[in-house]
Amino acid sequence: MGSKIPRTARLAVIVTMTAALGLAAACGGGAATEPAKNQASGDPASPVTVKFWSWVPNIQKAVDAFNASHPGIKVDLETITAGPDGGYAKMLAGVKAGNAPDVAQVGYDSLPSFLVNGALEDITQYAGDKASTFVDWQWQTGVFGGKVYAIPQASGPMGLYYRKDLFDKWGIEAPKTWDDFAAAAATIRKKDKDAYISTFAANQAPWLISLAQQAGQGWFSTENDAWKVTIDNPDTRRVAEYWQKMLDGKLVKTEADMSNAWYRDLQTGSIVGWIGGSWGDAIIRGNAPKTSGKWAVAPIPQWPGADKFTSASWAGGSSSAVLKGTKHAAEATTFAVWLNSAPESVNILLSAGYGWPSIKDTSQIANLQKDDTVFPFYGGQNIWDVFKEADAAVDSDWRWPPVSDALYASITDNAKAAVQGEGTLVDAFAKTQQAMVEQLKAKGLNVTTGG
Amino acid sequence: MVRRIRPATVVVMALLGAAAVYFLLPVVWVLVAATKSSADLFGTFGLWSPEPQLGTNLGRLFGTGDGLFGRWIVNSFLYAGIGALAATLLSAGAGYAMAKYPFRGREALFNLVLAGVLVPSTVLALPTYLIFSEVGITGTFWSVLLPGIVSPFGVYLARIHATAAIPDALLESARLDGAGEYRIFFGIAMKIMSPALVTIFLFQFIGVWNNYFLPLVMLSDQRLYPVTLGLAQWNSQTFRDPAFYELTVTGAAVSALLLVLTMASLQRFWRAGLTAGSVKG
Repeated sequence: MGSKIPRTARLAVIVTMTAALGLAAACGGGAATEPAKNQASGDPASPVTVKFWSWVPNIQKAVDAFNASHPGIKVDLETITAGPDGGYAKMLAGVKAGNAPDVAQVGYDSLPSFLVNGALEDITQYAGDKASTFVDWQWQTGVFGGKVYAIPQASGPMGLYYRKDLFDKWGIEAPKTWDDFAAAAATIRKKDKDAYISTFAANQAPWLISLAQQAGQGWFSTENDAWKVTIDNPDTRRVAEYWQKMLDGKLVKTEADMSNAWYRDLQTGSIVGWIGGSWGDAIIRGNAPKTSGKWAVAPIPQWPGADKFTSASWAGGSSSAVLKGTKHAAEATTFAVWLNSAPESVNILLSAGYGWPSIKDTSQIANLQKDDTVFPFYGGQNIWDVFKEADAAVDSDWRWPPVSDALYASITDNAKAAVQGEGTLVDAFAKTQQAMVEQLKAKGLNVTTGG
Repeated sequence: MVRRIRPATVVVMALLGAAAVYFLLPVVWVLVAATKSSADLFGTFGLWSPEPQLGTNLGRLFGTGDGLFGRWIVNSFLYAGIGALAATLLSAGAGYAMAKYPFRGREALFNLVLAGVLVPSTVLALPTYLIFSEVGITGTFWSVLLPGIVSPFGVYLARIHATAAIPDALLESARLDGAGEYRIFFGIAMKIMSPALVTIFLFQFIGVWNNYFLPLVMLSDQRLYPVTLGLAQWNSQTFRDPAFYELTVTGAAVSALLLVLTMASLQRFWRAGLTAGSVKG
């Protein structure tokens, strides 16, 4: 953001402006620019600079590969803190001040709030024909009212990680249905007094939400210009009742996942299973390296009577969104599409642990066919086959609300209270529904409920 | 000589001892954790490291990203050190002026400053960002340094201290002896106010060092990050790559140690200042 004002003059201005602080609070508001009409490939003699904000480890390698193969566009990566840790606040401030990056890492669950804040650029004219490249449900997360705003990057389809050596020793098969899962949980409690099949992670909103997502009916939808909230629905209630029974029977632990205690339990075999996203493989491998070769992955257990295999995705996933105010929407889109669909880039991102690719055709992705660091940890199993099937079985009608932060906070508060015995999990979801209705109303949106 | 120990003393000592353990345990934990691998971090007892690998961890800490961590530490010292020094000087001047020179609107101005004490700096980060981006200095070293030189609390403390500690008669006699106002301020007032000034410096130093949100919104270039922001960024990568746990924990230990050392060496001035004040008072 090169300014031509000399530094001393800038300082003088700063001092005056700081004095006027408060009066000037409303001064941002970057002008929306007409998208450039030039060729998206750019001119190699004077390359267009595209600024990109992300927090995915090692994404620089993919950016370097793009710059090497696209002489007309130069992408500048700036590594920022993860969105929920302040990255999103930074992006929104940047949009307001008119110096946001052209492309930014935005989670599927946060795209609606970015849209409501007017922070996304309509890139339909550059990316509209790319829909067929990507898995449909992932593509749809960046589409609002028929317009494209973001290119999907990766998801976290759910599977059941379990200690195959211990399951074999205890004579338990990988559970196919949730009833099997409950039965297996009971057997494990009998075979080893220290072992549990998993924890009930009341701290982990995305996890709780994905369990509900897998059960069927969604939580949010739009209907005639109003948000419809249906958290307290029959399918979600079934999930709540199921886990309440597991809690009452002391068949699951209640510690937080991704906590010190949980990592220790993974190492010692006190927790022998985890329903987690595809990227969770790195978490288990990195934190319990001594259990190598003993794990396996099974598809997420199914509800009895389901007519087809259904999975869910942990907090949806993550996209490359083109932010409002960019002067290079065409080039930004070219980069976002390449980053998330070129086999070369997807291979790099996959080894950085970014999640499950958003592209339909993964036959060109070498690491998904054979991965010498991952597969041996799971006794030679190609665990990616499980997650490929899972990603294809995610409901494409699921919608995130423009208040995901509040949803996460509310659901963990209520679920934690239920675990501690204040009411039941069914109450927890009903309370969350109420809280969301109030949140949306407070944003000045029309709200209806259902269930 | 046998001294009788009173029961009250025992109770007080026990309570203070418990408090000391309570506050020191986390520090010990961090130091021990800094010598562990990511797997040991969660798999072993918190206050004992079965396979210490401090050298490896430190090597990785300072080696990752071309010595990024070293830069962050230097940045933190620059932001906090220069910022606190400038804030102390400004506060001393403003506080002294408000205490010793009657002028119209003095109380209104002071009340305004008092109100400033009540506004958390986090609230001001976004408006400051918008203003700075108009001027074009967001993303630069200045964007974090400049807000750090303002300390309403410092002005408040300096004024209170100057009112109480500097006798008007002293200033009168200095003027009679022919000293100029600047000489009186730098040569006499600043010396008398030194305990307050050291306090202001320490508070502001810690405040800038710990400020997270301001550099978060201002900076995008990792090489300009202060250590708090850098560690937070590493920590958010542990979700995908657990090896970052080692880096984050070791980094936290090193930065905490450096801060403790800095404070310990500055405390010397504080004590000297306090006695100087009490003798004259």
